Amino acid sequence: MRKFGDICKLSDLKVGQKAKILSLNIEKDSLKKHLLDMGLTTKTIVKIKKIAPMGDPIDIELRGYELVLRKCDLNQIEVEVIK
Amino acid sequence: MKVALVGNQNSGKTTLFNCLTGMNAKIGNWPGVTIEKKVGIIKGTNYEITDIPGIYSLSPYSIEEKISKNYIFEENPDVIINIVDATCLERSLYLTTQLLETNSRIIIVLNMADKLEEKGLIIDEKKLSQILGVKVFKVSALKETGIDRIIEELKKLNYIKREKKVPDYLEETYDINKYEEIANKKYEYIENIVKTCVKKKIREVSISDKIDKILLNKWLAFPAFIIIMFLIYYLSVGVIGKFTVDVIGNYINDLKVSTYGIMTNMNMAEWFKSLVIDGIISGVGAVLGFVPQLIILFLCITLLETSGYMSRVALLLDKVFRKIGLSGKSLIPFIVGSGCSVPGIMGTRIIENEDERNMTTILTPFIPCSAKLPIIALFAGYFFPERSGLVAASLYFLAIVIIIFSAIIMKKYVFKNTTSTYVAELPEYKLPSIKYVVKEVFDKIISFIKRAGTIILLCSIIIWFLLSFSVKLEYGVKIEESILAAIGKKISWIFYPIIGVNSWEATVSAIQGLVAKEQVISSMAVISGLTEETSEIFIKGGIFEFFNPISAYAFMIFNLFSAPCFGAIGAMKKELGNNKKLLKAVSFQTGIAWFLATFIYQIGNRIEKGLFNVIDIIFIFGCIIIISLIIKTLAKQNNTRNTLCSYCKMCGKQY
Repeated sequence: MRKFGDICKLSDLKVGQKAKILSLNIEKDSLKKHLLDMGLTTKTIVKIKKIAPMGDPIDIELRGYELVLRKCDLNQIEVEVIK
Repeated sequence: MKVALVGNQNSGKTTLFNCLTGMNAKIGNWPGVTIEKKVGIIKGTNYEITDIPGIYSLSPYSIEEKISKNYIFEENPDVIINIVDATCLERSLYLTTQLLETNSRIIIVLNMADKLEEKGLIIDEKKLSQILGVKVFKVSALKETGIDRIIEELKKLNYIKREKKVPDYLEETYDINKYEEIANKKYEYIENIVKTCVKKKIREVSISDKIDKILLNKWLAFPAFIIIMFLIYYLSVGVIGKFTVDVIGNYINDLKVSTYGIMTNMNMAEWFKSLVIDGIISGVGAVLGFVPQLIILFLCITLLETSGYMSRVALLLDKVFRKIGLSGKSLIPFIVGSGCSVPGIMGTRIIENEDERNMTTILTPFIPCSAKLPIIALFAGYFFPERSGLVAASLYFLAIVIIIFSAIIMKKYVFKNTTSTYVAELPEYKLPSIKYVVKEVFDKIISFIKRAGTIILLCSIIIWFLLSFSVKLEYGVKIEESILAAIGKKISWIFYPIIGVNSWEATVSAIQGLVAKEQVISSMAVISGLTEETSEIFIKGGIFEFFNPISAYAFMIFNLFSAPCFGAIGAMKKELGNNKKLLKAVSFQTGIAWFLATFIYQIGNRIEKGLFNVIDIIFIFGCIIIISLIIKTLAKQNNTRNTLCSYCKMCGKQY
């Protein structure tokens, strides 16, 4: 399990862990734009809320709401673990 | 004055729209319920209000979001009511900051005020209003509080047309890094606003999280989903079961007898008596008998749609669906389609990827819609009286099997290169408003009855005419010599492998499913009524006596899975974009239905008779080879795709 201060991908975290977004390395501009619009900007704190029973997709909590994304997209978001 | 309701997905725009107009437009608890704009008049005024699909920003991501952007900039509404989910202020205000830059006249409505306490939030709306420089109102569209204040405020506004400004960062070619900078800055600004205007108390684990502990549990999630779906169809058909069949058999016959008596007393012409009794009462009555089943079905679907469970199932199934070329979001059109395929097919617009969207459009009609329920309820209720609920549920699970099977074929041969994403908000569970649920079920039942009184009535008259006259237009011929028989006999061989006999009666009835699926039942009732041999129910005795449980099941399968009604075909055309694709899709559906029905009948029949020999095995292999050949030829022509996305006026790019 990733510990406090680790730099990793958002998809590496377990349920209940929190992290701060460092950068979005998403290739497709349209998706990146959409995620920025949804509030996944740098320094945003996100929490892994639920993981689907089959391991993918993943439900994250940010800015007071929940957002579901696939692992492959979360894998392109670099974060710093804070909990 | 033109007013537009603009806000995030699932923020309650349509609920507020219903409050302001007194209408009952479809609502649901998943992001993207509204996929087209709807216009109404605000109660007590002459202001025109438009409800548009939800957006998170003015840079649209999916098709229905483009409709909204186009509306705001092209139709230029005088006032924008920016509806903001008060429980999710940060994300919602992002759109607000963009709207403020467009030089629009804006009123902010903080919706879901009733939920704030539960969430431990206190919002100072006066401060918020000061900072943003626009009026802010707290309302609850669900509880209908604070609505009058919005109307009063609209009346106070003096409206001079303003020219809309399009901020430069909304251009599609705008540099993504600069866009990121702007987004970062906007959210920083919003965080500061929220800090000054919102007080937060620590709250316990929410009810939604508790429910999800069970419904999204690693081991319980799938069984729970299967049980819920099973229950819907089991209840819809099983509870009432044979009852409706008896009602049709007895009460409608009684009605016919008494009508006949009255009409004879009034000295009416023989042909007119026949038209009313054998045509209209038989045809329309056969369909109306299924209203009780439909009430249960519509109730179940409405509860499912408004609860928030559908977003969970989408999450649950995404991984499986992705493997077969669909998206978890495909589930939403499927479930909506179990009420009616048309809104289901239109609902595919929430799926971002074109291939996944087209596949979902083609697969949605496989889910038996409410108009197909009479077919299921009649045959299941009569041929499987003790197990009608089970048989109904089995057909729905068969539909799922066909969907998976078809999806695999389409992914392999037609839609090959698919890279897709899944981005969706997960809403909290909500208790639906009883008022809305009752109204919704009532509206759907009324529209079913209306259809029986219009399309089915008209068809019954036409069918009666075609059955009562010969090709030489002589009245009073035996139905064997009628126009319809002449047509039906030419093509009845198509259905021979499915029902085991050459029945022009069943053939012409099945084809009428194109008009409306319940017309199949109606047509069978009219034909049977004219043969004078009827006993208690039209599929027992007389011309439909050849039906046994196996051929009944096979006949049902053909009717459920073949080409949908014209309404749904029209919706498919709109979403698929061209006739060629549509023709392929409809032939694919009908082909699958015919082969499956044939397969079930031939195998079932042989098992029952205890005959299973080399010829059968050759037949099965033959079927498999033919199916794969058809698929391959269909696939070959479909490799080039150059459709213009019909909704995207903005970019004009070819996909």
